[in-house]
Amino acid sequence: MCTRKMYHLTMAMAVGSMLFWPQAGWSMDAADAPETVEINSLSKSYGGVHFDHAMHTGIASCEQCHHHTTGAEVTNSNCIRCHAKTGEEDSVSCKDCHSSDRFSKKDLLKLEDPKLYHIDKPGLKAAYHLNCVGCHQKAGGPTGCQDCHTITEAGEKMFQTGKFAPAPTAGSGHGGHSSH
Amino acid sequence: MKTTVSRRNFIKGGLAGTVAVTALKESSSQAATFEGYPDGMGVLVDLTRCVGCRSCEAACNQEQKLPPPEKPFDDFSVFDEMMHGQKRRTDETHYTVVNRYDVPGLEHPLFRKIQCNHCQEPACLTSCFVNAYTKTPEGAVIYNPNVCVGCRTCMIACPFYIPTFKYSSAFNPRIMKCIFCYDTRLKDGKPPACVEACPQEALTFGKRNDLIKIGRQRMVETPGKYEDHIYGEHEVGGTAWMYLSSVPFDKVGLDTHLPKEPILNFVKDFLGIVPMVLTIWPALFAGFHLLATRKDWLKNKNDDAHEEE
Amino acid sequence: MRFFSHQRPEIPIVDHIKPDGSQWTIKEKLWLGLSSGDYFKQFFRNPVNWLMIAIFVIGVPLIAQRYIYGLDAVTHGSDDYPWGLFLGFGLFGMVPLSASGFMLGTTCELFGRKDFHPIERLALLNGLLGYFFAVLFLEVDLGMWWRLPYPMFVSLGPAAVLFLVAWHVATYLSVQIAEVLPAFFEWIGWLKGKRVIRKMVLGLTIAGIILSTLHQGALGALFTYAPGKVHPLWFSSNFQWIHFFCSSIFAGLSMVIVSSTLIRNFAGWRCDDHFKNSLDDITVKLGKGCSLAMITYLVIKIVAVAHDQEWDYLLTGWGSYYMLELGIGVILPMFMFAFGVRNNSAGLVRFAAWIAVFGIIWNRLNTALVCFNWQLYQEIPHWKEVWITITIYSLYFLTYRFIVYRLPIVYEWKGEK
Ligand code: SF4
Ligand code: SF4
Ligand code: SF4
Repeated sequence: MCTRKMYHLTMAMAVGSMLFWPQAGWSMDAADAPETVEINSLSKSYGGVHFDHAMHTGIASCEQCHHHTTGAEVTNSNCIRCHAKTGEEDSVSCKDCHSSDRFSKKDLLKLEDPKLYHIDKPGLKAAYHLNCVGCHQKAGGPTGCQDCHTITEAGEKMFQTGKFAPAPTAGSGHGGHSSH
Repeated sequence: MKTTVSRRNFIKGGLAGTVAVTALKESSSQAATFEGYPDGMGVLVDLTRCVGCRSCEAACNQEQKLPPPEKPFDDFSVFDEMMHGQKRRTDETHYTVVNRYDVPGLEHPLFRKIQCNHCQEPACLTSCFVNAYTKTPEGAVIYNPNVCVGCRTCMIACPFYIPTFKYSSAFNPRIMKCIFCYDTRLKDGKPPACVEACPQEALTFGKRNDLIKIGRQRMVETPGKYEDHIYGEHEVGGTAWMYLSSVPFDKVGLDTHLPKEPILNFVKDFLGIVPMVLTIWPALFAGFHLLATRKDWLKNKNDDAHEEE
Repeated sequence: MRFFSHQRPEIPIVDHIKPDGSQWTIKEKLWLGLSSGDYFKQFFRNPVNWLMIAIFVIGVPLIAQRYIYGLDAVTHGSDDYPWGLFLGFGLFGMVPLSASGFMLGTTCELFGRKDFHPIERLALLNGLLGYFFAVLFLEVDLGMWWRLPYPMFVSLGPAAVLFLVAWHVATYLSVQIAEVLPAFFEWIGWLKGKRVIRKMVLGLTIAGIILSTLHQGALGALFTYAPGKVHPLWFSSNFQWIHFFCSSIFAGLSMVIVSSTLIRNFAGWRCDDHFKNSLDDITVKLGKGCSLAMITYLVIKIVAVAHDQEWDYLLTGWGSYYMLELGIGVILPMFMFAFGVRNNSAGLVRFAAWIAVFGIIWNRLNTALVCFNWQLYQEIPHWKEVWITITIYSLYFLTYRFIVYRLPIVYEWKGEK
């Protein structure tokens, strides 16, 4: 079905754990942004990503990743209901809205607020991936894990690959009966 | 003489038996009304988000200290593995598996993770005669290997084919199944390992009630993207792990013919007759006996009377 | 045995006292009054025993393999098919075939039908052994077989159907032991024990009916836990337990007919005239019971199909198989029973009983294995699983024969009673 719509509308967005100072004026533009961003605040199984921000500004509009935060005109019919005039936010950095301790007790507690609209805001890791992978799938960008990341030793261990790969005979699981 | 004695004994015996079994029945009808905990946690699996990276499988293997897999978790050839014409399923070394579904008309394949769905009224739990399963207030359905006798009725009963048995072990067999990472995480309020590992947040962890709202919100905000159904909201009485999909659920290997009511309801007919048999049978057959042997009894009574004179 | 009984008038043993006035010792009774040499001579002359030996020579190591290397080594038990032949045949098949105990117990003790008396003990023994070996089959199949008493004493799950089965089979087993004990007490000559049991017999019989109704039904109800897995034609949430209970009635009766036939034909030396002479008559009467139970069963089977609106399924391949099962396993023997009864032909009734026994095993295997997971794939038992099943069944046969040869089951004890 419409995988496209999904990526338009997922509120998950934004790339970069950068410090960013709002500029004067109604909205900011790509020139205000740093050229590259190191995305590595969560790296565990995989190393961080060296993100070429300047290159991407040529491909996508600010809104596609930063939603309404940059003050650019909001077009999404759902977001527009509230964010038509909210203007530029104090921060456009992903990590300031998308929780890096997603699903922790503290994070889940926020959902208790009965008036909260954004009950489904992805955590930081998902915000990155949903946004990047979603667009890459459509635009034919790289989508494999190691296309963007280098796997770490901890990652190799978890995936039991590389130097932690199982011996060819290991494992004995059989869903059906084994054929003796 | 003989028959009179037997009558008295028989009534005594019959009563004792009935009381004993009725007592058992009492406790059983209490347990039979068990329902899920309203505040329990769950996970919403969004198939449109899953990219089939198998991070969840890898994380589960690590968290649950399962044996090493046959192939590394970044080997995607497993999606083509077939056994008896079936895609991969949970087994004694995999609490969770991700399968690929090539749906006609769809540009990208869909991937579906499966694990224990932690039913609200679990069939595995209600069918177990040694109470090896527990539904915790946090929502997990956990298993106690120390009392399990290995009869495997839970495997017969689970509508999702989840519990598996360690057939390979002669001295230490047990049921192997996803426990929602209960001991290591859930009971401390932490999300399960697979959820934490998922890069796409295809797995959303939260209160089951909230997840249903979230699922609905996704449907509202992205009209046409999802099937208008949260799989698991009502299936077999509701499950703590639920699914969202962009295609009909039977296209991604989920059984769409499952009843809306808990599996236990199918057994209630029989459980209902138990007290009836226990109370009516003794009286009924005692009656038959008295009728059938009335002549003998009268005769004996007369004989007795004569003897006593 | 026939050979010796011609030469030695004091054999078979029917009394505590030998013709010369001395007592038979227990040891002599166990050897059937023969010297050990003679005993083995007659044992090895019997080709059936050679067959048994052949089965055991392979079967016993296989059983050992199961206990040393696990179920995986000898069965095709899998996560999709948790239950195989051990339960499909051993539990679900053996238990209905052992319903004879409570059937004839009820007929003789409750309804006071003395005409069935000659076969009562055989029916009780058939019941006892059937249950005992069903438990033995279970012990082969249970993953943690050493925890058999857990559902009774360690961790109780009283809301489960299997809990009821476990308790009922266990209590019923003790009831049946008590019911068969008098024969044993007569044989060893301990009359006090027999009198104690005699006083309890009615209570035991009533307990027997209750327990049997419930656990025969419960075995069926076990499958109601798998509404989507058992083919709809073999599944009925409302009627499954009645199907199983009702079919156990003719299953048990047919099994007694079969075993009494075998005993009369192959162990005629052991039967007394009373047993032999009344057997044809009893067989026909049992046949009548079978045909009645079968027509009831058939009606309830059809009601179940109608109730669940499953007519469409009858037109599928599964439907044909279903009708084949009913046709051969129920309708055919039902008519044979009916004709046999009408023409007073014990032969026809016996033939029908064989078919009915086969039919019931077939039905149970269908429910537990063939039509289970009907939307998945078909499970074919491992040959070792088949062999172990046969081995344990052979053990059942040997035990059965051992007891019938000795205890006053098909003959009346001549000594003090
Ligand atoms: S999915 Fe199966 S194993 Fe998990 S709780 Fe439900 S019935 Fe039990
Ligand atoms: S919840 Fe825990 S046990 Fe279950 S599949 Fe996820 S990681 Fe494995
Ligand atoms: S980790 Fe997430 S995206 Fe990856 S296979 Fe599992 S559910 Fe799908």
